[in-house]
Amino acid sequence: MAKLVYLYGIIPKNDSYKEKLSTMKGLDDFHEIHTIPFQETEAVICHLDEVQYGEKELEKKTNDVKWVHEKAFHHHEILMKLYEEFPIIPMKFCTIYSGEESLAKKLDAHQENMIELLEFIKDKEEWIMKIYCDPSKVRENVSEQNTTIDQKRKEIGEMSPGRQYLEKRKLDQLIDQEADREKDSFASNIHEALASISLQNEVKKNWNKDVTGRTEEMCWNSVYMLKNTAVDDFLNHVKELQDKWEPSGWQIEVTGPWPSYHYAKIG
Amino acid sequence: MAIEQSTGSSNLVDVLETVLDKGVVIAGDIRVGIADVELLSIKIRLIVASVDKAKEIGMDWWETDPYLNSQAALQEQDKLKEENEQLQKRLEKLEGKLSEDSRLP
Repeated sequence: MAKLVYLYGIIPKNDSYKEKLSTMKGLDDFHEIHTIPFQETEAVICHLDEVQYGEKELEKKTNDVKWVHEKAFHHHEILMKLYEEFPIIPMKFCTIYSGEESLAKKLDAHQENMIELLEFIKDKEEWIMKIYCDPSKVRENVSEQNTTIDQKRKEIGEMSPGRQYLEKRKLDQLIDQEADREKDSFASNIHEALASISLQNEVKKNWNKDVTGRTEEMCWNSVYMLKNTAVDDFLNHVKELQDKWEPSGWQIEVTGPWPSYHYAKIG
Repeated sequence: MAIEQSTGSSNLVDVLETVLDKGVVIAGDIRVGIADVELLSIKIRLIVASVDKAKEIGMDWWETDPYLNSQAALQEQDKLKEENEQLQKRLEKLEGKLSEDSRLP
């Protein structure tokens, strides 16, 4: 029976991969993960049954949250295991071809690009930084320390009770605005410092609390491409910043190294 | 160095935002549509939260005084219901937004 091909990523041609991969089961928990050589590279794949993973069946699966949760982590874990051993071009989750021939055609067209890319990423690491804060703490600090707000508060104190009520509400809004500004300027200062150590960086979307499931608010989310030799420097710097800012409620969290999800690009 | 562990939930977002949104795209032959990271994270958290809480409630029933704890469990259930409703509302809003977004002009 014809088999579909699930592509995890591309690694450089390597003789030691066979033992490393032999024990890993693929996306369907049945077919084994193995590689197919393409000139100077190897494609890491697993076969999938055409009936169970055809377009219609796959649509049912991808609508099942539990399935996506489990398999997205499977994809990520396999890439992490490979990444421990080789530089790897990671594919997006659920990249599936109708057969090996079709895959070969696609890869042939990008062969040169991939060799360059593997060369580019082999001595680099990708790290993600997220900054969280306690919004009420930031607000409190701003309210106490911001001179404009302090000035306003004094002015309000001298007004008639009726006006005081209105002006206090306005002041509350001002404090909110200043607190947002404070979060952004704090986080972008941290980012600038880390960006100066990195080769490339990208600011990503902040996720709200429903998504993160945390009580703190995410106020920065960014990714850095670092030279291997700069990683220690980067992490030491992060550690210093964490020690310095944690007491005031800022949580600076880094994760990595990740396979080059953000910086391996083709085409 | 391995990925530095933080809490489970932020790890979920980390993985989803990279695996689903990033990575190299060389168009595959099988078309796949997957919900966006925001929607998916909320749905996953909803499932995980329900299972965890249900387990907690179950344990109370079996292991301690049934009368007192069925009361406690009911309260828990109410809280859970309320939380689920809130998340459900948020989900519906997002799904509404999503189907508007994907509508052709």
